[in-house]
Amino acid sequence: MDVRQDDTEVQEAYARWLDAGTRLSFAASLAAFVLYVSGAVPSYLPLESLPRYWGLPVAEFLRQTGAPSGWGWLGRLGSGEYLNLACIALLGVTTALCYARIVPILLRSGERLQAGLAITQIVVLLAAASGFFAGG
Amino acid sequence: MEVAAAPWWIWPLALFAVSFAIGIVAVLGGIGGGVLFVPIVGSFFPFHLDFVRGAGLAFALAGTLSAGPMLLRNRMASLRLVTPLALAGSVAAFAGAVVGLSLPTDALQTALGVTIIAIAALIATTKDRYGGGVESDALGAALRMRGEFQDPAAQARIDWRTHRTLAGFGAFGAIGFLGGLFGLGAGFANVPALNLLMAAPLKVAVGSSGLIISIINSSAAWVYIHHGALLPVLVVPAILGVMLGSRIGARLLAVTPAATVRRVVIFVMLLAGCRALLRGTGLWM
Repeated sequence: MDVRQDDTEVQEAYARWLDAGTRLSFAASLAAFVLYVSGAVPSYLPLESLPRYWGLPVAEFLRQTGAPSGWGWLGRLGSGEYLNLACIALLGVTTALCYARIVPILLRSGERLQAGLAITQIVVLLAAASGFFAGG
Repeated sequence: MEVAAAPWWIWPLALFAVSFAIGIVAVLGGIGGGVLFVPIVGSFFPFHLDFVRGAGLAFALAGTLSAGPMLLRNRMASLRLVTPLALAGSVAAFAGAVVGLSLPTDALQTALGVTIIAIAALIATTKDRYGGGVESDALGAALRMRGEFQDPAAQARIDWRTHRTLAGFGAFGAIGFLGGLFGLGAGFANVPALNLLMAAPLKVAVGSSGLIISIINSSAAWVYIHHGALLPVLVVPAILGVMLGSRIGARLLAVTPAATVRRVVIFVMLLAGCRALLRGTGLWM
């Protein structure tokens, strides 16, 4: 097996998806932030009131503002803060998408161990994203 | 200007400027930048450390993700090397992030200061090693942790292999835990682990370190999202700043002597580490 050829195909596929995911995340983050601070979309907390809250520990911040935790922000995408959070979250899923792209290539070239590691990494990332283990 | 009297928009603007500057230094030092961002912003900005740590992870994640495609294409980062180590690190980072949000702020500040100073001392006392000339151990051979890249400076194609794979897993588990705990990329620790411990060539160690940070932080960042600890008014200016700074840093890197870069990074880390330590112990609020 030509390992070098396989490496090139896998690295290029990962790089291509990483490039696209990163560009999309940053463009979306920039657009959402402009909408947020310009007041073009309503915000959950008035921007002028933020200095009263951003020095608080996160638990106290959530208690005083009633801001959502877990996946609760998905229900408030109409607010500027959570529209921005959705764009930031895109960064968090980019790596999982890149690994998902290379798994078929690894399996096709007989690299079962590397494919298994890639699948395990996807599971770890999805577990983290699920919020199921986010105690503390 | 009194912190309480400053209008809200001053802080995102200042954060953008600081992130821009750190982005330049981070590239010059071959790190994600969270190790500089968290102590500096935590010490000199009014945001609570919970939010600063979350932004630090997003900061390092954005910078390293954007550098990834170039590093992979010029083979300075090796997926074959990165995948198993990042898996060990991301599990540990996830645990570290959960523990980190449960600890008192003073203890975190103190531990952060000690950690930053210790890493700065490690860099100051560590000599670069040109790796690659070793035989793979059994685990490294099974994982095919080897590769090759074209080194323009040496005008040569470098074939490399790594060894001490099990110790490497342990090192990346420990580094990942600290990264998740403090919200820093820990790139400084990645590079010595890859280069000095596992014998990867320095350029592969630096490039692969960035990719490892991007994978590890992808899992740790979700802990902060679910805890409501990512404030967009803090995170987005940081991301935009580091992106712009990183591009300029990449251009400066070619013309700045490595010894100068190293001194700058050690100085900034010592300064930030001492500040966090003094704040955590209550000696300087």
